[in-house]
Amino acid sequence: MITKFKNYITLSLVGSFLALGACEDRLNIEPAQAVSDELVLDTDARVKAVLIGAYDILSDGDLFGGGIQMNGELLAADDELIFSGTYGDPSQIWRKEITTTNSDVADFWMDSYAAINVVNNVLSALEVVDEEDRAVVEGEAKFIRGLLYFELAKFFGQPYSAGNTTTNLGVPIVLEPTEEINESVNVPRATVEETYNQAIADLKDAEELLPIVNGIYANKVAAAAVLSRVYLQQQNYVEARDAANRGIEYAEAYFNLVPNIEDAFNQTANSQEDILAIQVTTQDGTNALVTFFATKSAGGRADIEIQPLHFERYEEGDLRADLFYSDDEGVRTEKWFNQFANIPLIRLAELYLTRAEANERLNTEVGATPAEDLNLIRVRAGLEPIEDPTLEDIINERFVELAFEGQKIHDIKRLEMEVDGFAYDAELLVYPIPQREINANPALAGQQNPGYE
Amino acid sequence: MKRVFLLTFSFLFVLMANSWAQSRTVTGTVTSAEDGIGLPGVAVLVKGTSTGVVTDFNGEYRVTVPSPEAVLSYSFVGFIPQEVVVGTRSTIDIVLEPDVKQLSEVVVVGYGTQLKQDLTGNVANISGEDIESTPVPTFEQALQGRAAGVQISSMNGKVGQGMNIRIRGGSSISASNEPLYVIDGIPVTSQSPPSTSGAPTSPLADINFNDIESIQILKDASAAAIYGSRAANGVVLITTKQGVAGETKFNASVQYGVSRPTGRREFLNAAQYIELFQEAAWNNDVRDGFFADVVNAENPALIPENIENHPDYQYSWLEYMHGTFDYLAGDTDWRALETDTDWNDIAFQDARVQIYDLSAQGGTEKTQFYASGGYSDTDGILIGNRFERIAGRLNLNHELGERFDLGLTVGISKTNNFRVSDDNQFATPLQLVAQAPITPVRDKEGVLFDDSFNPAMFYYPATVELENSSFLTSTYRNLVSANIVYEATDHLSITGEYGFDLLTQNEDRYQDDRTIAGRSVNGYGSASWTRIFNATSRVFATYANSFDIHNVDLTGGVEFQSSEMDYSYVAGQGYPVEDLQKVASAAEIVAGETSLTEFTFLSYFARANYKLQDRYLFSISGRVDGSSRFGTENRYGFFPAASAGWIISNEGFMDNDAISFLKLRASYGVVGNAEIGNFEHLGLYVAEPYGGVSGLRPSQFRNPGLGWETTAQFDVGVDFGFFNDRLTGEVDYYQKNTTDLLLRVPLPATTGYEDQTRNLGALTNQGFELALDYHIVTGSDFHWSAGLNLARNINEITDLGDQDIIDNGSSSYLNVVKVGEPIGVFYGPEYAGVNPANGDAIWFVNGEATADGEAIFEQNGRLVTNNYNFANKVVLGNPSPEFFGGLSNSLSYKGLELNVLLQGVYGNKIFNGGGTYMSANARYEDNQTIDQLARWQKPGDITDVPQARLYSNNGAQASSRYLSDGSYLRLKSVTIGYNLPADFLNRYEIDRLRIFLSGQNLLTFTGYEGWDPEVNTDYLASNIFLGNDFYAAPQARTVTLGVKFGF
Repeated sequence: MITKFKNYITLSLVGSFLALGACEDRLNIEPAQAVSDELVLDTDARVKAVLIGAYDILSDGDLFGGGIQMNGELLAADDELIFSGTYGDPSQIWRKEITTTNSDVADFWMDSYAAINVVNNVLSALEVVDEEDRAVVEGEAKFIRGLLYFELAKFFGQPYSAGNTTTNLGVPIVLEPTEEINESVNVPRATVEETYNQAIADLKDAEELLPIVNGIYANKVAAAAVLSRVYLQQQNYVEARDAANRGIEYAEAYFNLVPNIEDAFNQTANSQEDILAIQVTTQDGTNALVTFFATKSAGGRADIEIQPLHFERYEEGDLRADLFYSDDEGVRTEKWFNQFANIPLIRLAELYLTRAEANERLNTEVGATPAEDLNLIRVRAGLEPIEDPTLEDIINERFVELAFEGQKIHDIKRLEMEVDGFAYDAELLVYPIPQREINANPALAGQQNPGYE
Repeated sequence: MKRVFLLTFSFLFVLMANSWAQSRTVTGTVTSAEDGIGLPGVAVLVKGTSTGVVTDFNGEYRVTVPSPEAVLSYSFVGFIPQEVVVGTRSTIDIVLEPDVKQLSEVVVVGYGTQLKQDLTGNVANISGEDIESTPVPTFEQALQGRAAGVQISSMNGKVGQGMNIRIRGGSSISASNEPLYVIDGIPVTSQSPPSTSGAPTSPLADINFNDIESIQILKDASAAAIYGSRAANGVVLITTKQGVAGETKFNASVQYGVSRPTGRREFLNAAQYIELFQEAAWNNDVRDGFFADVVNAENPALIPENIENHPDYQYSWLEYMHGTFDYLAGDTDWRALETDTDWNDIAFQDARVQIYDLSAQGGTEKTQFYASGGYSDTDGILIGNRFERIAGRLNLNHELGERFDLGLTVGISKTNNFRVSDDNQFATPLQLVAQAPITPVRDKEGVLFDDSFNPAMFYYPATVELENSSFLTSTYRNLVSANIVYEATDHLSITGEYGFDLLTQNEDRYQDDRTIAGRSVNGYGSASWTRIFNATSRVFATYANSFDIHNVDLTGGVEFQSSEMDYSYVAGQGYPVEDLQKVASAAEIVAGETSLTEFTFLSYFARANYKLQDRYLFSISGRVDGSSRFGTENRYGFFPAASAGWIISNEGFMDNDAISFLKLRASYGVVGNAEIGNFEHLGLYVAEPYGGVSGLRPSQFRNPGLGWETTAQFDVGVDFGFFNDRLTGEVDYYQKNTTDLLLRVPLPATTGYEDQTRNLGALTNQGFELALDYHIVTGSDFHWSAGLNLARNINEITDLGDQDIIDNGSSSYLNVVKVGEPIGVFYGPEYAGVNPANGDAIWFVNGEATADGEAIFEQNGRLVTNNYNFANKVVLGNPSPEFFGGLSNSLSYKGLELNVLLQGVYGNKIFNGGGTYMSANARYEDNQTIDQLARWQKPGDITDVPQARLYSNNGAQASSRYLSDGSYLRLKSVTIGYNLPADFLNRYEIDRLRIFLSGQNLLTFTGYEGWDPEVNTDYLASNIFLGNDFYAAPQARTVTLGVKFGF
């Protein structure tokens, strides 16, 4: 009996010894929630999926999911709003006391370049994209890249309007996907001029390549619209006017101002006025604007209170003055109320205002007269048309129409105005290069923005 | 444990010595002088022969002696051996006196056991008895202060939550610094399973530690290298109780107690709050030029009476603040100071602890068992926090014939952790201190105030969360191991083992429409389910023999471990009524995911121990590990170690009465660390949808060459015993050099990636450890012994490749990784206090002034600035202690016992991350700590608290302002016990009855002004984020009364 056991057990012990040694194959485990980079950029469908991935990054709360727009508004607060929340990072931006470790600033930087690398990957794999879709894929990729270089240039570089654009620093320009980690990835900052030129080149290509209607993705109108923003920032009114005009012309058959201004916001599907909007659903996406602007019962933090000074911009009877509500703590904007609504990035209304301003400055009537464009916006807002508007009328209209949508700080800089006692070209209205980036990239040594060290 | 081993050993010994010289029989009973109870397993030898027996379960023996001159020797480890001449007696009863000698203890080492005196490595040994009945949920807490060089600290005072354990310092920056836990030979899951709250839980809390027989902590490379790649942070070996042959004995215990927080932080009361915040608003007005005609020139902070009538009052900050007070005061009148809420008190509850344990052990010569059941229910001190555990265990040993031993251990438990939110949520109870003291808890109708539904607050309060939500983490845990030992010959045995740790965790959370998560979506609920199946199989052979003066002990084997984690999660929103809380009732499913991840290790190990003449000890070991976590290029690692010891006291020339034992030992070895994510060597894309369309984005940059992080450790130590081992101790010096760090190296973000895991960089830990045990008085009635352990660890980052510093990615905390400094060192601007001229916060420039103008000026001979960005960062302190240790005293007089344990750390700093809100000179409406009353008010004021300016950041940035000394000394535990006399108990057929009163954390001596200096906020804690406080709950001060009886 015992002998039997002995043989049996001895055999199984020796057997297990060998069996365990044979487990070597089980050291090869593939992840279940991720796929190897080698398998990604080799088919049409996968490259297109990667492009969707770039939009996903773009929609992050640190980028156009709301961080860029909100922090722009905080920088441009000017007693029209106060940030009473306890998040230290936006509070620093509101007070223009930004530290080099501000994580909103760092996340904006990091996510922007993450998206840029993704579209660089897409651009490097265009040859596997089906020929009939190739132009659109390239156009979308370049649109995203151009849009981001423009945003980075505006926040991290001295304003274009401050001059010295060939010596003032913009941001590092990377146009190839990251294949290896070696010294070549240590890219120094390009100049403001170079950064703007890159944005323009990408957006021009995008405008050419993209169709006018392209679902929820970037389209020809959006490319022209962002181009008009770039030129406006450069105070290049001829190009700004023409780009806006092209945008309006493209848009004609497909996009319209919504009749009621309130219908331009808090929509779960793009409104007909949305040239481009960030998609948010209950299951995906973040609406960081609601998080910070909205009252608590709407799912917000109720951190941003609109101050009485803001209402001085509104004329009697302006329907846009009704886009506000009060809770027990203060007055809030209703533009950002539904946490599961899309975030308009470019509304058709902006193109009219841009064209009006440029035409007015240039004393031209390309596409329409300044009055015609302006009054489209005014009448919708329940105001009387102005027959012969001044530049000031148009600019004030712009501030009112686009309030809390992230444009104000850039308008202040290009119009060379003051904000909260800071001149348009004040050092502290420019973000610092994130400290983590200076630590990680030796090529940035000595390239921190003035005022931050 | 000791007895079990000895029993087994003695049996073997006797079996070998079986030459029978038939003569005459002597019988008798051997009892212990301690309790008068029969001692089983005592070796009874006829001196000078190989004849001998072992006493049975009742301590009785029967031995044959050759002649009346024969001498019988009685020996049993832990007792002083005795010899008697047989003479004419046929019955010889012996009473053995306990021996205080400790060095002959048997200790568990990897894949075997060793006599403590033969160890050449460093192993800390804690007996289950020392920690049993400690009224804490997890055994690591009970280990605090008990082992030299083992630093154990809680993140906060929530029950069942994660702990930090560092054995001889942190050896990694990005990989884990937690030790490997092995229970009855099987590595167990010790890292927190995924949680819907950011805070980790401790999977070790699932273990009923009254089942623990002993805990061995392998600290140096020689002891730990047999665990190879898993051992860089040390190994904790836990052995559960085994059955003992003999009559079945029962032990039962009941314990009941109460807990309160160890400390509190003082905040402003209603009157002080109103005073300070009015002033903050007024200061804004004065700056803006309001009230110019009535500002007091002497003290501009003074607010004149009847200021409401001043024409500037309308639209002033002061009016705004008064409006805020109206809001905050709810339905009460703040002007009349109608409400004065102490929110500190609201955050805590009267907590109860109850613990019930029942165990039985017994068996026959062939089969022994240990069975236990335990239930404990521990309230946290925070409202709504509670931890409940029910656990059962069955351990069986069976001898199958002469050559086979079978062993089975099964531990099953269920825990319910009623959790509170992590420290960074408004819903966590201690964030209630941010509420204003002028705000009542409830309105006059009894409805709770909050920030939205019944608004009188700016911050969502935990009171509403508590009444309107549930958050339960329940875990089922099975720890099973089975082994078979085949004694192929008297010297060679082969062991096959299989064991697994199956952890199933369910998290159920529901937050109704009044809660912060549920109010905008009409209720929010989620459920998650995690299963971790962690299995190990191994086969190993052991050969032990002695040849004359040579003792050889060889071990070798192979082991395979795989751990697989399945996870699923679903969340829904929109619930019709609060009674329906499962996701099934949600109107809309808003999140859902499932995931799977796995890792495997294949290992070969071998060890040889050699002892010459009982005094020269040598040991070498090696292990080869292959891991799925590394690329094929560097998948396998080899981890060798060698050590030697010299028992000087066994040398002839050391015939010294005072020195009873003296051993020198030294070891050197290489161990590894692979505790990183499962796939960090791969370049990966993950699925990320946008607008309802599936997409892919890169998540990680590849590094196919990724390999082991290795730690080479040198240890030299002396073990000694003086005065017949009344004083024993060990002193060790060690040096641990970790190279090829598994480092998340920050990349320029312009690559599109934030970091990449690489083998880059190096760090060192060096230090010494001292452990002493002194039996001060060893009388028959009165006994007093004391133990001391003390450790010093110096951690230094020595290389980070091209970088000098890796910052933490947060502007709110100071910890960084910096070359030349310890891990997580506090590094940032040095606070210089307040400019007496204008009340601005100022910092020392500490170096070149890069800016010009008024922002930088000289004060007391040093350059200071009121611009935070112009202050250069400097090293401000170490979050890890320089020294830490424990001092235990144990006294007994007849049946009365007193055990006292003091524990402390010295030399570390604590950063109060909440300071930017709670000690920020009235920056936000948060209630302020009482020290903020010392704010600057008028030119000339000398203070550290800047001028109060509402919504203005005047000095609340992260700096040394919020850093303070974290040293403390704590009366960790005190137990007074009384053992009722045996003869009294015997009348009731009870073997033992012990009544005890025990206190935990009764006193804490510290300069730290926060709640408790043992802190590292749970939402942040990591290798780098160390020593941070952020509304972290203090430890519990617990007093329990218990009864334990055996029958």
